[in-house]
Amino acid sequence: MADASYEQWLARMDAESRAKQERFMNGIAERMGRPRLTSAPAHPHRGAPDDWRGFEWPPEERAERFAANFRSAGGHPVRLADLEEAKRFIVGKAEELGARIVVRQRQPELDALDLESALPNARVSVWNDDPGENWKARAAEADIGIVVADYAAAYTGSIAVLSSKDKGRSVSLLPAVLIAIIPMDRLATRLGEVLACFDEAGRERLPAGIHFISGPSRSADIENDLTIGVHGPGVVYALLVG
Amino acid sequence: MSAQSATGGQGRGAAGGATVRERAQLALNDDFLRKAVRFTTERLRSGKKQASEEHGNWEAWRERGRQIRLHTIAHLDYYLNLFADNARANGAHVHFAFNAEEAVRIVLEIAERKAAKSVVKSKSMVTEELHLNRALEQIGVEAIETDLGEYIVQLAGETPSHIIIPAIHKNRRQIAELLSEVAGETLPPDTPVLAGFVRKKLREKFLEADIGMTGCNFAIAETGSMVLFENEGNARMVTTVPKTQITLMGMERIIPSWADLEVMATLLPRSATGQRMTVYMSGISGPRRAEDADGPDEMHIVIVDNGRSLQLGDPEFQELLNCIRCGACLNACPVYRHIGGHAYGGTYSGPIGAVLTPALNKDNVAQWDDIASASSLCGACYEACPVKIPLHDMLIYLRRRKVAQGYSPALEKLGMKGFGAVMGSAAKYRGALRLGKLGQKLVARGGVIKARLGPLKGWNRYRHAPSLAKESFRDRWKTIEQEIRHGLSEIEAARARSRLEAALKERDNGGGGGNGHG
Repeated sequence: MADASYEQWLARMDAESRAKQERFMNGIAERMGRPRLTSAPAHPHRGAPDDWRGFEWPPEERAERFAANFRSAGGHPVRLADLEEAKRFIVGKAEELGARIVVRQRQPELDALDLESALPNARVSVWNDDPGENWKARAAEADIGIVVADYAAAYTGSIAVLSSKDKGRSVSLLPAVLIAIIPMDRLATRLGEVLACFDEAGRERLPAGIHFISGPSRSADIENDLTIGVHGPGVVYALLVG
Repeated sequence: MSAQSATGGQGRGAAGGATVRERAQLALNDDFLRKAVRFTTERLRSGKKQASEEHGNWEAWRERGRQIRLHTIAHLDYYLNLFADNARANGAHVHFAFNAEEAVRIVLEIAERKAAKSVVKSKSMVTEELHLNRALEQIGVEAIETDLGEYIVQLAGETPSHIIIPAIHKNRRQIAELLSEVAGETLPPDTPVLAGFVRKKLREKFLEADIGMTGCNFAIAETGSMVLFENEGNARMVTTVPKTQITLMGMERIIPSWADLEVMATLLPRSATGQRMTVYMSGISGPRRAEDADGPDEMHIVIVDNGRSLQLGDPEFQELLNCIRCGACLNACPVYRHIGGHAYGGTYSGPIGAVLTPALNKDNVAQWDDIASASSLCGACYEACPVKIPLHDMLIYLRRRKVAQGYSPALEKLGMKGFGAVMGSAAKYRGALRLGKLGQKLVARGGVIKARLGPLKGWNRYRHAPSLAKESFRDRWKTIEQEIRHGLSEIEAARARSRLEAALKERDNGGGGGNGHG
């Protein structure tokens, strides 16, 4: 689709958009009855209420609260001592479910687990290790997707995964079962602690996709009857490790 | 399916009646609808109450949410401009649309240039507002709603009746019939089977679609990111799988920073469904990076005005732009719970719809619907609103403006004056209630007042005013609240199902409620 006429059209649309942007903003200022605002206004109410910001649970309580919240959303939290235990859990679960196709992110923790040889009955593929492959299709056919969380928040029972060339958005979305490893030192108390990282990083260092996952995909759209696994994974394991 | 949805648009959803009065009549006759709406809204309302109580200090968070929204809207030219610049820097193509026609034209042009055959959509009220599906169908592009409830509503050729639960008015058997048509075989009215069928069907659609289209819950100015809240995963599908993503956003969706998102993420899910957090919250900053193996190659963001800027600088209505589209005011509203969403006749229903629909169409007072009059002005919407929008005040402003423009009978003008005087003081209101209780002894029969006289003349033209309760709603509020919460804690899924089935049977047997949806 990158033909010349398309590019020309895009350039024309962009030029039109920039001109319109000026009219849009001037129109807003005019309605407000004041000159156009071009520098950052003081924002005295930024973020959560002040007394919330220092709030923190000790690590053990954090793990317990995360587990309780994740479970109440229909997820399966598991507390494990180390990555070796995580490996045993994943292998056991894959065998129990009879998984034939597994897709995982290319992350050092997962590389070290060497699931490829630990699961002889399954085809384990590593995200984007072959640029010629159709990775969305590989994830769509997988029984299990395995990721290491970038962050987690106990208060809302949420896992955060960030996209990159080694970390597909599809891996936590398309397979029927999702297993997420959460190293304990990435588990925060509040959602705000995680979100603050993105303000600090700034625009240029943000990935295309940041996804918070707080349980299995669900819907109550048919007569309020809760259904699990509507579009995303219906079974989600959160392995708290460490 | 596409042929059906082509006629859908704003079609049979608002079945029949041209005025709120007629549409409400339809809704009030539809027994199942009324029960389902009440059941759902009570469940959501009670969930919200529990979730906000569990969180604690709810008032402080509400106030913070209000302040963030007030601040952003007060400086919207700065923040919106910043968002557009940053989104462009992220690699997105940003477009501006002053009105619905422009927005539709931009989207159609993208679809045509991409030679798109199909568009998969996640829930977006803005696209409903623009009637975008119909426009796409007209140029031969299939537009597929992928939120389970929206998909069902689309198959039926209707419009959503609740902002959070669009198919609130459909029962399981009707849903099974609709999906059986698509499947070409008879599917049982069993939720897991029906949902499983939709999962499979829509998977194919996701994978073959040329364009993914979304709305936008929040847009973060400082990083040019758009944020989506959802439970099913369809919004993630739509923003991950197709090669082109188009996001439609109202110009007021902006918040300054990710820090501010914590406040919105605390208020929105709790207010909408009583969840601590929706299953997915996604922050998307531009198309996929060159080395990424998924995500869209190209991302378009269409920023839509379509009447929103008319609220800016209007002291009575500017706060309308603070709305975060949670639906809590619908669930709290005694009128919505009685008549359901379709009776409102616009894209947005409930108290927010009653104000937003005319406000977006401000220059055209004559066209304003009479929905602002179908409100008890009880203030429950304000109490429920997580950003404290004074909707009940706005309903009065609307009525006043309509009266001022000469679109009301002289008697109502007089009434509004008196109403202002009485409602302005709790003591006078109590006094008026006492007077009413005395006065009604002359006219109330069997709990209703049918006589079209005095202050009830207009009201009683299309419903009977309930006689004033010996114990008023204000008096009983606490008890009802306890009953609902106690009741709900007892109801298990199975019992709820049998109740709904009983309601359905009753309706079928009754035969009378045959109008409406089907």
